[in-house]
Amino acid sequence: MMCNEIWVIAEIRQGRLTRSTHQLLGAARKLADERNLQPAALLIGGEQVHAEELAQKIPLVLRIENSGLETYEAVRYAHALRQLIEKRGRPKVIMTAAGSSGVEFMPRVAMRCDSGYASYCVDLFWEGEEPACRRPVYGGKVYEELAISTVPAFFTVRPGVFPVPENLSETGRVETIPIDLPEDTGLRIIERKGISPGKKDLSEALCVVAGGRGMGTPENFKLLEKLAEVLDGAVGVSRAVVDAGWMPHDLQVGKSGKTVSPGLYIACGISGAIHHVLGMNTAKVVVAINKDPDALIFRNADYGLVGDALEVIPELIKAIKSKT
Amino acid sequence: MKIAVLIKQVPDHEALVRVKSEQELDIENRYVCSFFDEIAIEAALNIRKNHPESEITAISAGGKKAVDALRRAVALGIDQVEHLGDESLEMADNCYLAYVLAERLKAIQPDLIICGKQAGDDDFAATGPMVAEYLNIPHVSAVVSLGSDADANQVTLGREVEGEIWYLESNFPLLITAEKGLAEPHVPVVMRVMKAMRAQIPGIPLNELDLKDKKQQGRLRRLRYTVPPERADVAMMREPYPQNAAELIEHLKKNGVI
Repeated sequence: MMCNEIWVIAEIRQGRLTRSTHQLLGAARKLADERNLQPAALLIGGEQVHAEELAQKIPLVLRIENSGLETYEAVRYAHALRQLIEKRGRPKVIMTAAGSSGVEFMPRVAMRCDSGYASYCVDLFWEGEEPACRRPVYGGKVYEELAISTVPAFFTVRPGVFPVPENLSETGRVETIPIDLPEDTGLRIIERKGISPGKKDLSEALCVVAGGRGMGTPENFKLLEKLAEVLDGAVGVSRAVVDAGWMPHDLQVGKSGKTVSPGLYIACGISGAIHHVLGMNTAKVVVAINKDPDALIFRNADYGLVGDALEVIPELIKAIKSKT
Repeated sequence: MKIAVLIKQVPDHEALVRVKSEQELDIENRYVCSFFDEIAIEAALNIRKNHPESEITAISAGGKKAVDALRRAVALGIDQVEHLGDESLEMADNCYLAYVLAERLKAIQPDLIICGKQAGDDDFAATGPMVAEYLNIPHVSAVVSLGSDADANQVTLGREVEGEIWYLESNFPLLITAEKGLAEPHVPVVMRVMKAMRAQIPGIPLNELDLKDKKQQGRLRRLRYTVPPERADVAMMREPYPQNAAELIEHLKKNGVI
């Protein structure tokens, strides 16, 4: 059984719909318009306020309801999604953000539905009647384009690659769909701990201010936090900084850390080793600040400034704050 | 405890990879065992330190390169290895590879399966979750810690979730994917490297597995490889310090970046 729909699975973090969710609503509407399909947002768990907020942006909201879905867990999510597909029919496309949960449960559902899955997509489009994606491979040294010939096509999309659509005003309909869940999946959450409390989420941020060994000492990263604050951005770090034990791994940008695609990336005291560049080369605008005029990072930047990041950052903050 | 580790040989992250044609890549011949897979191997070895009776099997599916990944596993201290399939798997899509691995794992029946978070070539991060779904067992991705209290029945583990660590408790069987921090891969000793070079790597041909389910094939179709968008030449700030900071911010403001 099929249905002529495209689903975006909404993500809620700290009680709010994520920016990626809004970006994907735009992407889904565009894909749906091109093939005369119905775009819909899917809320797994979540609250009425989130359903209402989504209904202002998209004509149809499907809210999957079961008290076992209040906390995310891959097996339960996969189960819930599969049941919705059975009840409603197979949509053409199911997409969600390539965050830690998306890349965890989506491959499970694809496997269960005997359908194709592609992760970390940076673009979605139609290849004839088949949904297709563009995604970086080999750490972003090349891209590949894949079409999915089975239904539904499952995609996870890198945060930040689509713009947040403006001026959407819908009076969408909310449908609540109760589902059953297995009582015990074998997994129990015992505790949740913040690693970097109060820090902005790196993968969702519109601006990332990143520091490397050139920052000199762990204490100097406070300076980066100040710069991030005036730019409403998040702090990231290079692998060298994590390996030296200066900062936790969840802030690492690079091949063995996070891949970010912010509108603005400011690299401070980062040499630009390939490992790091592979984690940030999809940023829209890159600024590099480094003492070494031959640092590799300048080859991957739009704007370069040769200087000591520790001296330059306070001047940047001053200049940002000045009205002129 | 029975542990299976799924590993893959991939180009080193510094290897040159270029688009040769829409359907073909030019890849420099510098291959290594995938970064996160070595962490998976080390995590298995750490469990064996606490539970010396544990049996670890490392499995790699694919063409001849898979043998090199398995030699690395032997060098790092794993005794049982299996090379699954042949070159035909190199072009297989993620679902089919997971299907082949899962069919083999059905026979081994491990308590714990460990894979790397994602492979350093296709970066799919899909094999682990797909294998778990096919075997109908729970899984946790991007695990950063594994409790040393693991016993025959359950294990506690930690995983990173956007700014948080979640601690979970799970029964076996379970599949986890290894994130950086789960274990610190060691440098193998020379003796083991020599042993690994001489080791017989047993192969299991695909026709020995029960692979009749045709639905598992051909879900993804590669249309083409493309060259990533190139960044324009860098604009260097020309003013001396401290005016160069103001110069930079002016550029960003003028172009609507901030």
